[in-house]
Amino acid sequence: MLPVAGAAANLDFLNPDKPAPKFAKTPRLEYRTLGKTGLKVTTVGFGCMITSDPSVITRAADLGINYFDSARGYQNGNNERMVAAALGNKRKDLVLSTKSIANNKEGLLKHLDTSLTELKTDYLDIWYLHSKDAPSAIHDDMIEAQQIAKQQGKIRFAGMSTHALPKMTEWTVDKKAFDVVLTVYNFTMDAKMDEAIATVAKTGTGIVAMKVMAGGAHARRPGEQVDTRMQREGAMLSALKWVLHRPNIHTTIPSMTDMDQLDENLRAMAEEFVPADEQTLAAHLQRIAPYYCRFCGECQGSCQKGLQVADTLRILTYAEGYGQFALARERFNELPAHHTTARCGDCTECTVKCPHSIRVAERISRAQELFA
Amino acid sequence: MIRSRAVVLKGHGFSRAGMIHPKRLRALVPEAPFRLLIVLGVLFAALPMPAQVLLDCHFVPGFEQSGPKRQYTPDNLFDYRDGAAEGYLIYSFARMQGIDCKSGSTILSLDVSDMSDADSAYGMFSANRDSRQPIAKIGMGAQIMPQSLLFAKGKYFIEIIETDGSTNSNQAANLQAFAEKIEPLLDGRSTPPEELAWFPQEGQESAKLVPESVLGLKILKRGYVAKYSQGQAFIVVEQSPESAAEVMNKLRVRFDDASSARLGDEAFQLKAPYLEGICIFRKGRTIAGFANSPDPQTASTEAAKLLERLP
Repeated sequence: MLPVAGAAANLDFLNPDKPAPKFAKTPRLEYRTLGKTGLKVTTVGFGCMITSDPSVITRAADLGINYFDSARGYQNGNNERMVAAALGNKRKDLVLSTKSIANNKEGLLKHLDTSLTELKTDYLDIWYLHSKDAPSAIHDDMIEAQQIAKQQGKIRFAGMSTHALPKMTEWTVDKKAFDVVLTVYNFTMDAKMDEAIATVAKTGTGIVAMKVMAGGAHARRPGEQVDTRMQREGAMLSALKWVLHRPNIHTTIPSMTDMDQLDENLRAMAEEFVPADEQTLAAHLQRIAPYYCRFCGECQGSCQKGLQVADTLRILTYAEGYGQFALARERFNELPAHHTTARCGDCTECTVKCPHSIRVAERISRAQELFA
Repeated sequence: MIRSRAVVLKGHGFSRAGMIHPKRLRALVPEAPFRLLIVLGVLFAALPMPAQVLLDCHFVPGFEQSGPKRQYTPDNLFDYRDGAAEGYLIYSFARMQGIDCKSGSTILSLDVSDMSDADSAYGMFSANRDSRQPIAKIGMGAQIMPQSLLFAKGKYFIEIIETDGSTNSNQAANLQAFAEKIEPLLDGRSTPPEELAWFPQEGQESAKLVPESVLGLKILKRGYVAKYSQGQAFIVVEQSPESAAEVMNKLRVRFDDASSARLGDEAFQLKAPYLEGICIFRKGRTIAGFANSPDPQTASTEAAKLLERLP
């Protein structure tokens, strides 16, 4: 049996105030095949988006991580330049991907040429259409651009990144345009996402997971306090192991800014997902469930008093998650006037049924108490 | 929130600069009603001005607003900037307001981001600018390219970008015209963070704020890094000399085969994996040094040059 993640012995390692150990020894790597592409990738890849120091990327490649992801738009192209400098002549042995947000053929192909120049490579292994959350966001000429790029040998495989895979599933399967799909996926997701991933994976499409830490170790968004706690309790490692443990996920691209995060993430490939991890994540989910709005929109229009529940919950997170009280109050006061006067206690039964068990009435009252 | 030209009294949103002391006002304008009008006028001019009002496509003749105004906060910036939103969040992004301006087939996208403080705004600018291109003098610094202009002033990071998908046009004149209209309307300092001036200028290729994990080391939480042809210098300012000494102790544990060096209050040097020749010293609450040098001695020499410039 491998070491148990999340156990007390691990916690010192995760405490940023403790002196970090010297560099870890050679890690145990796990590989999977990225669908029909046939690419053998480590299950933990490297999302380079917010990495500042190239040495972290260089060391990841030296230790055996073989999939690195960037995007044309990250830091106005600086990210691609930094990745190129970090990988140097190792690039030929690695799987390299980038993305373009351009919305037409001409723009995409220009971005591709720029990416190839900046990444100092003749080809990309995967080139994604960046962040497509509705079929209407992808036009035929964009797919044509990927096909042209393939014919020209500038890319090996075409991909699409999305944060709304369930909405894209049917279209993606029918269109048969992509070899790889990069999707948000983490332990807070519900069964709809599992079904969507399974359906797409069944067609032989490679599945890459992003946002695997459910907001990230670097989150500055609602839930920041939660994330800090999550890190302290070792749940970041558990969250990554959870994703690796799930079916149909071929690889992941957690972002990393330092050597310690790299060492921690490498452990996810070497360790089993054990009951202790499950308990850590379950406790975490239970803790955030009554408060943490996932913005699924299911509550829209369901309040009998006409309150904009999702908006109110979001505003509340400005204050509680970020400490942005003034902003929250400003936003709350932009809501229709009855948001300050309607009393949840006046209803005998709340008609809003949050699928994620948020205590809606309690939270609305809290918002009124803070801002009204 | 974008404010009028007047300097803002922290936390209250009212102008202090240009306000006349009440005694002096009474001397200048003896009639009470007139005094009241003047006070109200000054206060009105100093009220926080929302970007919806401030950002105006008519700043540059021939441009009209295209589509609605937009506003984003940390929880929905993703809808607009996609994965790149993370790059804003690590620089303390608080909110963004913007509009699109159209003239013929040209569409320029104007976005003003509140990055919480001036250092973060400059950090965002330095992370996004192309270090191979020169810095122009707009606000704390600007980069003017054919299809994009970035600048930072005070706590604001401003992006003006051609977004119509055309690939060969040169909009630099229009971009600059918009920037020059927007810049005077933003509060805050127009000088880069003082730490940047501490780096030796000779041979410097670029300098930026690293929001976390300087040199890829979690222990060095936030600081400035300047790149040179043969390595990189860094500066991390801790809360106090004591906390800086604590960080040095942790670094010594990490780099336990380092040898002592004679720089500042304490220093060490070594050849380390991935950081090559490195020398780290502490002066008061500042931890600084030079890394990725061919050997520790060279790193120590370069670090000494940095030490000389520290206040």
